[in-house]
Amino acid sequence: MGILKKYFKQSATYKLYKGISGIFFDFVDTLGKITENGLEVIKFILKGEINRKELVEQCSRFGVSSLPITLTIVGMTSVIVASQVALEMVKQGGGHFIGMMMTILIIREVAVIMSGFAIISMIGSSLASELATMRVTEQIDAIKVLKVNPVSYLFIPRVLSGIIMMPFVTILAAAIGIIAGAVTSDMFAGLSYRAYFDSAWLGLYMKDLWVSLLKAVFFGGTIALISCSCGYFASGGAKGVGLATTKAVVWSFVAIVIWDMIFAIAFFF
Amino acid sequence: MSIEVKNLIKKFGNKTVINNVSFKVNDGETLAIVGFSGSGKSTILKLICGLIPKDSGEIITSEGDIAMVFQYSALFDSLDVADNISFALRERRDLRKKFSEKQIKDIVAQKLELVGLKGIEHLYPSELSGGMQKRVSFARAIVTEPNSILYDEPTSGLDPISSTLIENYIVRLKEETKAASVVVTHQMSTITRTADRVIMLYNGQIVFEGTPDEMLKQDNPYTKQFVTASLNGPMKMTERNNNE
Repeated sequence: MGILKKYFKQSATYKLYKGISGIFFDFVDTLGKITENGLEVIKFILKGEINRKELVEQCSRFGVSSLPITLTIVGMTSVIVASQVALEMVKQGGGHFIGMMMTILIIREVAVIMSGFAIISMIGSSLASELATMRVTEQIDAIKVLKVNPVSYLFIPRVLSGIIMMPFVTILAAAIGIIAGAVTSDMFAGLSYRAYFDSAWLGLYMKDLWVSLLKAVFFGGTIALISCSCGYFASGGAKGVGLATTKAVVWSFVAIVIWDMIFAIAFFF
Repeated sequence: MSIEVKNLIKKFGNKTVINNVSFKVNDGETLAIVGFSGSGKSTILKLICGLIPKDSGEIITSEGDIAMVFQYSALFDSLDVADNISFALRERRDLRKKFSEKQIKDIVAQKLELVGLKGIEHLYPSELSGGMQKRVSFARAIVTEPNSILYDEPTSGLDPISSTLIENYIVRLKEETKAASVVVTHQMSTITRTADRVIMLYNGQIVFEGTPDEMLKQDNPYTKQFVTASLNGPMKMTERNNNE
C-alpha cells in the first residue's frame, strides 16, 4: 500500500491535481484576504479614522509621481490609434467623425484603462513591495506590538489616495489623449484641428463622463487594496517580496479588466 | 505577577514547537530563554505579545503594555528616529490626543537620552549602525511605559563591546522601568549580565530552569552541552535545526 501511494505521488496525474488544487486554494485564500481587508478598510473609513498627513503623502505619490508615465502611455496609445485610423477614415469620407470616435474611445476606455495599467505597474507594484518588505523585516509586527492597527495605519491612506487621485489622473490623461489624437490626425491625415474638435463632442454624453470617473474611483481603490493586501500577507525573504509584487500586479490587472467588463455591461449594454 | 505562562502549546502544522511550557516572570525581574536555533524561543515571545495565536494553555499578563525589541530592530525605515520613537504616541487611538507636540518632543528626547543617543532625532534608520538601531528600538519600546519588555536576541550580530553596551541598557531599563523582562538569547555574556533566572528550551520543552550561576555549574547535561558548545550531548543538532 505504501509503495502504491509513493508511486501515485510521483505520477503526472497527482502532480497535475496538486498543481491545480494549489492554484485554486491560493486563489480562494487571496480573494478572502483581499475581501476581509476591504471590509475593514470600509469600516475604518466610515468611522472617519483617517491619518490626514499620511493621506496627503500617499495622494502625492499616487497622483503626482505617477503622472508622467500615465500621461505618456495614454498619449502614445492615442497616437497609435489615430495614426492607424485617421487616414483610412479620411479616405472613406468619414474624416469629420475622427474627433468623435477618438473622444468616445479615449473617455470611455483608453484614458481610464491605460491609466489603470500605468498605475498598477508604477504605484501598485511599489505599494506591494513596500508592505511586503515591512512584513518580512517585522515592521508590521512592530506596528501590532505598539497597539496600532496596521490596516488602519497602512491601508486607509493608500486606498483612499487611490480613490481620490485616480479620477484626476484619468481626466488629465483623457485631455492629453484627445489632444494627441488631434495632432496625429493632422499629421497623418491632414485633418484640421477645427474639424477634429468640431466633431469631438458630438457623440459624447454626460453619462460617458461620469461612468468613466466612477470607473476611475473603482480602479484606483481596487489597485491600492489589492496591492496593499498582497504585500501585507507576504512571507519569506526577498523571494516573498518578489512573489507578492508579482501577485499584486497580476491580480490588479485582472481585477480592473473585470471591473471594466462589469461597467460595460451595466452601463452600455 | 507580570507575565505567567501556563501549559503553553503551539504547533505549526504537525510540528509541536512549544510543548507544555510554563514559567513566571515577576515585576523587575529578567528571565533569559536560551536554546538552539529552532527550539521555539522567539515563538514564545510572539505568543506572549499576541503576534501569533496559541493552540492551548494560558498567558496571563498584568494590565499595561507589553513592549518588544525585535531581533533586527524592525525600525520603520520611512520614518526618522523621532517619528519611530513617537509612533505609538501619535498613532495609537488611546494616546494620539493625549500629548501635545512639545510633550512628544520632550518624551522622545528623554528616551533617547536614556539609551545614550541624544540629538539623533532627525536621522533615518539607514543612517545608524546596528547597535544604534537596537538602542533606538529600545527607546521606541519603552515610550509607552510598558509593564513587560520582551527582547528577541538583542545582542545578535553585534561586536562584543556593542553587546556589552546593549546588555548594560537592558539592566538599566529594568531598573528604571521595573518592568518584567524576557530576553531570548544565545549569548552567554547576555545571560550572565542581564538575567536573574534562565530557562533552557529543547524540542519545545523546558530542560533547565535556574539562575545563571546554576547554569554555569554544568551539572545539567543540557546546559553543560550549551555552555561548552559541544556537539556531544543530549541535544542533537539536526540538519534542519542547523538550517533554521
